[in-house]
Amino acid sequence: MSHAPVSERHEDPAVRVEALEALLVEKGLVDPSVVDEVIEHYETNVGPLNGAKVIARAWVDPAYRARLLHDATKAIAELGFGGPEGHMVIAVENSPSVHNVVVCTLCSCYPWSVLGLPPAWYKSPAYRSRMVAEPRAVLREMGLDLPQVLRVRVWDSSAEARYLVLPERPAGTEGMDERELATLVTRDAMIGVARALGPATAGTHA
Amino acid sequence: MGGRREHYAPIAREADEPVFHERWEARTFGISGFVLVLLRGNTERFRFAMEQLPREVYMSGYYQRWLGGLERLLVEAGYLGRGELDARLLDGAAAQGARTRSPARLALVSRLMRSYLRPRLPRWVCAHVLPRVTGTLRPVFWRPRFHLGDRVRVRSGPERAFTRKPGYVRGRPGVVSAHHRAALFADARGEGRRARPQHLYTVAFDGRELWGEHAEPETEVRVDLFESHLEPA
Repeated sequence: MSHAPVSERHEDPAVRVEALEALLVEKGLVDPSVVDEVIEHYETNVGPLNGAKVIARAWVDPAYRARLLHDATKAIAELGFGGPEGHMVIAVENSPSVHNVVVCTLCSCYPWSVLGLPPAWYKSPAYRSRMVAEPRAVLREMGLDLPQVLRVRVWDSSAEARYLVLPERPAGTEGMDERELATLVTRDAMIGVARALGPATAGTHA
Repeated sequence: MGGRREHYAPIAREADEPVFHERWEARTFGISGFVLVLLRGNTERFRFAMEQLPREVYMSGYYQRWLGGLERLLVEAGYLGRGELDARLLDGAAAQGARTRSPARLALVSRLMRSYLRPRLPRWVCAHVLPRVTGTLRPVFWRPRFHLGDRVRVRSGPERAFTRKPGYVRGRPGVVSAHHRAALFADARGEGRRARPQHLYTVAFDGRELWGEHAEPETEVRVDLFESHLEPA
């Protein structure tokens, strides 16, 4: 079928993708201006700030929290977030007896609509292989030493659902409003490899 | 990769990590998204294309794998000739992919994609339209075989080339902790086979059932599995 005398591969991905894009534009298979906008969208509009708003709302509004735990996709939609990798989000709640943490051992599934694109460590073979087998050791290494009595529940996003961890509201935040609370909610807390920040770390509330 | 010791290494975290480390990663991400919509490709086929890459390409990095998978998908679907990209880069000759898409379709996909590229979308779009367009849940008339609390075992027969059943749960017993209705069967979609939707479950595995005496205390893993992955325990 192929009569290509080319047996070498040009390995530099930057060179390959540039040539591939040029080829696809010639063939009418890509609109580069839309590609620009997709990139900008994920660099500016979509990220863990979306998820932080969802969590802060759940901390201050018990009815919203109940809706989030019942059907997270719909509860997240109330704040205007959705789109790719956000079509079936499930929120899992940390408590004094259970700590939740998310991984994808098969690829790198992640709830883009609320957390943006995953960080490099989440996509690394080390995290993907170890988190299901030795979660306590991995969490300790990442700075979260959990007591033995706390049950660790690891969610391997192997099919349709994308998981969002609802961290516990930190103590001493009773006087904070929803916007202030959102600054305590980090990406790592929503993956489950950290707790939400304490009020002392929230800038003006030292 | 779950539990595969050859991948074990310290978790390397990076402070203030950018969304994309280099422009080529961003281009790879954006082009892949566009092409997948244009070709009406599904994510499972994209994943399968990545898994079939030579090991050194798969392991070379996340967006390296996307780029390799995308090339492979385009060649398989006939839009790109085998070796066409390398021929262009190295001034060689190669057969060209003959398939194309109409300019009207390109314009339609561009409009469709632009319509969701905004900070916030209407609630009904996020709650009802997008899940239906991009999601794979499908209504079915047949009943689920398993129910909440059922003890099940993950089937351990011969595997197909592509499966969303993680290797480390094969043959292991667990308990159904959720039923998610039915979804298009990912394993079939990856291979381009037609198959009816299947009921989808979350199964909870105690750490000791997966890792025996090496298991850490008080740990469990929950995995989403399709009905044909499971049998009664």
